[in-house]
Amino acid sequence: MTDVALSRKEDHRLLTGRGRFLDDLGRGALCAAFVRSPHAHARIRDIDVAGALAVEGLVAVYTWEDLPAGVRDPLPLLIPHPSLTHGRTPYALAREFVRHVGEPVAMVIAADRYLAEDAAARIDVDYEVLRPVVGIETAAAAEHLVHADVPGNLGARLEQSVGDAAAAIAAAPHRLAFRLDIERSASMPLEGKGVYARWDGEDLRVYSSTQTTTSVRMALSAKLGVPLPHIEVIAPDVGGGFGVKIMHPWPEEVLVPWAAMTLGREVKWAEDRREHFISSAHERAQIHHVEVGFDDDGRVLGLDVRILHDHGAYTPYGIILPIVTSTQLLGPYKIPSYHATVDSLYTNAVIVTPYRGAGRPQGVFCAERTMDKIAAHLDLDRAVVRRRNFIEPDEFPYDHGLTFQDGRPLIYDSGDYPQSLEKIKALIGWDGFAARREAAAAEGRRIGIGLGCYVEGTGVGPYEGAHVQVVSNGHVYVATGLTSQGQGHQTVLAQVAAAELGIGTEQITVTTGDTRRFGYSVGTFASRAAVMSGNAVAVAAGKVKEKAIALAAKVLGADPGSLECAGGEVRARDGSAAIGLGTLAVLSNPLRYSFDEESARAGQFAGVPDPDTPPLEGEPGLEATGYYSPIRSTFASGMHAAVVECDPETAEITVLDYAVVHDCGRMINPQLVEGQVHGGVAQGIAGALYERMAYDEHGQLLNASFMDFLMPYATEVPAIDTDHLETPSPLNPLGVKGAGEAGVIPVSAVIASAIEDAEGFAIDAMPISPSQLHHLRGAAR
Amino acid sequence: MKVSGTALINAPRGTVWDALQDPAVLVRTIPGCKTLEQTGPDHYKATVEAGVASIKGLFDGVVELCDPEPQERIVLKSSGKGAPGTVSATVLVSLTDEAGATRIDYDADAVVGGMIGGVGQRMLTSVGKKTAGEFFAAVEKDLVEGPTIVASEPVAAGDAPQVFTRAAAPAGARPGLGWIFAAFALGAVTALLGVLVGRL
Repeated sequence: MTDVALSRKEDHRLLTGRGRFLDDLGRGALCAAFVRSPHAHARIRDIDVAGALAVEGLVAVYTWEDLPAGVRDPLPLLIPHPSLTHGRTPYALAREFVRHVGEPVAMVIAADRYLAEDAAARIDVDYEVLRPVVGIETAAAAEHLVHADVPGNLGARLEQSVGDAAAAIAAAPHRLAFRLDIERSASMPLEGKGVYARWDGEDLRVYSSTQTTTSVRMALSAKLGVPLPHIEVIAPDVGGGFGVKIMHPWPEEVLVPWAAMTLGREVKWAEDRREHFISSAHERAQIHHVEVGFDDDGRVLGLDVRILHDHGAYTPYGIILPIVTSTQLLGPYKIPSYHATVDSLYTNAVIVTPYRGAGRPQGVFCAERTMDKIAAHLDLDRAVVRRRNFIEPDEFPYDHGLTFQDGRPLIYDSGDYPQSLEKIKALIGWDGFAARREAAAAEGRRIGIGLGCYVEGTGVGPYEGAHVQVVSNGHVYVATGLTSQGQGHQTVLAQVAAAELGIGTEQITVTTGDTRRFGYSVGTFASRAAVMSGNAVAVAAGKVKEKAIALAAKVLGADPGSLECAGGEVRARDGSAAIGLGTLAVLSNPLRYSFDEESARAGQFAGVPDPDTPPLEGEPGLEATGYYSPIRSTFASGMHAAVVECDPETAEITVLDYAVVHDCGRMINPQLVEGQVHGGVAQGIAGALYERMAYDEHGQLLNASFMDFLMPYATEVPAIDTDHLETPSPLNPLGVKGAGEAGVIPVSAVIASAIEDAEGFAIDAMPISPSQLHHLRGAAR
Repeated sequence: MKVSGTALINAPRGTVWDALQDPAVLVRTIPGCKTLEQTGPDHYKATVEAGVASIKGLFDGVVELCDPEPQERIVLKSSGKGAPGTVSATVLVSLTDEAGATRIDYDADAVVGGMIGGVGQRMLTSVGKKTAGEFFAAVEKDLVEGPTIVASEPVAAGDAPQVFTRAAAPAGARPGLGWIFAAFALGAVTALLGVLVGRL
């Protein structure tokens, strides 16, 4: 059942309104609302809650001073790193200082959300407004500090180096130096965060719209002092994550369960859109100073990149993003001497954590703009320059000599970049474009073509696991700890189990992100679900198959080697005997008591084959748990190309054609891979042309609504032509690589390349709006 | 956010300067002004109801006057705070003669925060100017045609601060030049808030 374009099992339920999202749960629960800082940087002089007390239905108001040990400590620094010398994390409720607009200052619990909001509005916080640090250059100038004890606003300085880049650049026949900018954007799932908690005096059950329930569970155990076996965390249906929900525990994720425990009542909070804009994470903002040396053929000899990374007010997620940028920047290219430094800087803005692509769009923007600039400098075709720098298909595994975000060596496992390039050129019509451009120009139209390549480390460890269980009616239940946010895991993981067990996917139900069903997991991020949980399901289903065959061999008195799993039963290959998986499930669990005809077959008087062996050998149940832990990430790759048209008068930018060649190894479900690519391209187009976080100089986010934050409609997203290349990963049994982020990664680079081609001047900062293009035209004149 | 604009009041500058020292005028002309209170030399406090249609909120505002040059210019530092958010503004107000009338130029640099900060700021400048224009027009009407509300006795007594309300403004009290500038600043703040509240 793999490599089959099966339609999504979950869609009928979701599309007929039967999804159960966080805010569908907990009717009658008390509701939380938060007082959030209106200032980007301020000291709290006083919080006067007196005004709120008159609100009928108010249950409690909490400030930092009310929080007990554990809850009142700074939130965890999730991913420490030796370079992160000045990591800082926030308090769940602000203690003395607020460092970005939207930082929670007080929590109100009331009978419903309306009353909670009313009460929150009556809490009077007296702030001493401090000078905010807004923007990367202001942070680097460090005239003012975000944290008084962090000199230079510098959280981390990271270096990545292979060879001697400075010497290679100095000795190169050609050299270029330039600056490239990418602005802030955000994941912006349609469903924001949300938490709903119940406490019965001993056991805590928490529902959270999260990308990692197992880790939220461990964080809550640590924060709240509840033993792990007494906490369950469940992700119900989640309306999109795109990275922002891998960050955890959010302040609300600690505070709402704590309030439920403190009050002995169910408590719920569902984030509203404005809260999401100003208190959930953003990403992307970086400035890159690039210096490159290359030979007459356009081969890169040395590359030096100095990256200034805006990580916002705190660093709970460590420096994963700049690590990803500085390693994935190398793309499909052999760059013999490379040096990157990252200054990760504090600003008085919302924190930054991975958003689909996670540092790669910026790195790819650097590498691909570099390739285009080399081509322009040498008057070479842009595709030719790329081809000359590629890692060749016979050079895998290819070791870059750097350390990747999983702490493992940056070694590419597989790929075929030259073939991808030929495919993308054919798909977009690269070679015939000159004639098309001329024809358009004759009509007074201005069009350009662009190209971008990327390599994406996917399937990051450490591990994932799965549990597969056959029940007595033959139905198969699969559980994995990793969560779903709409990707189609219920379909894909069912396909993997179906392939192992020889049954139809309609006989399989998949549960994700429910610690009651599976307690060990890392989470959904870094395009890892199919690689990690996919392989774990294959391992677990394989064990169930072995168990079923062994039991069937015993029951049928057959040689296990003569049996196979197919058609929902274990049968002899010669067709002489068969026994259903459901029956085997019954027989796998010897019973004293029976409840129906099926279970009666496993009763103690149903006949004992061998009175001298114990009724149970091994473990009861036709079920098994399996884990998959790779030695390192697997590297997917792809190439995008676009044709854009720029209106000569209005500077409006229209994407005419968009093509993607994608290699995620073996495809479990090509239709879902295509869907992932399409969704990713849509977010990439958004980040290239429309979406940005418009902070003013005071640190106020000016466009914190869907009226002003321009998420594209279907009308702005072009039709996408896709082609696939399948170079199987040698690192995992299924041969798969991740596909979740591929669509978004090179889009800004591709669109910039195409606009540059249309306009004839450099496009070095993205996103770009028509008015910005208009100004660039003015400056170029 | 920068808001700047010009208003013409059809009266000589001296007349405007003098006449507008009446807090009763200001409490009548600041859109939505409920109370106006002097809390110290050059310091004022006001409560303003602002909003659009059925969506309204009460905002508490304070104004501080700085660097006055009599009949020429003054700098106002003001801030307003209400449920939907905060606005603080530094406003430079200057008065000049223009063809027998008084020209008022105002130049405000405002920080808009809280809920209102992120919602529709791009609409704010133009509507803020419109509301400010309405304020100045009301001042002119008050000056030229006289007040439309009959004032009663002031409510202040003893050491209590002077408090003026729209229904009970003192007819004869002229506590100082500060009132007019407080009004300008509050007018600007109110204008901003009014727009914003309407957008929530």
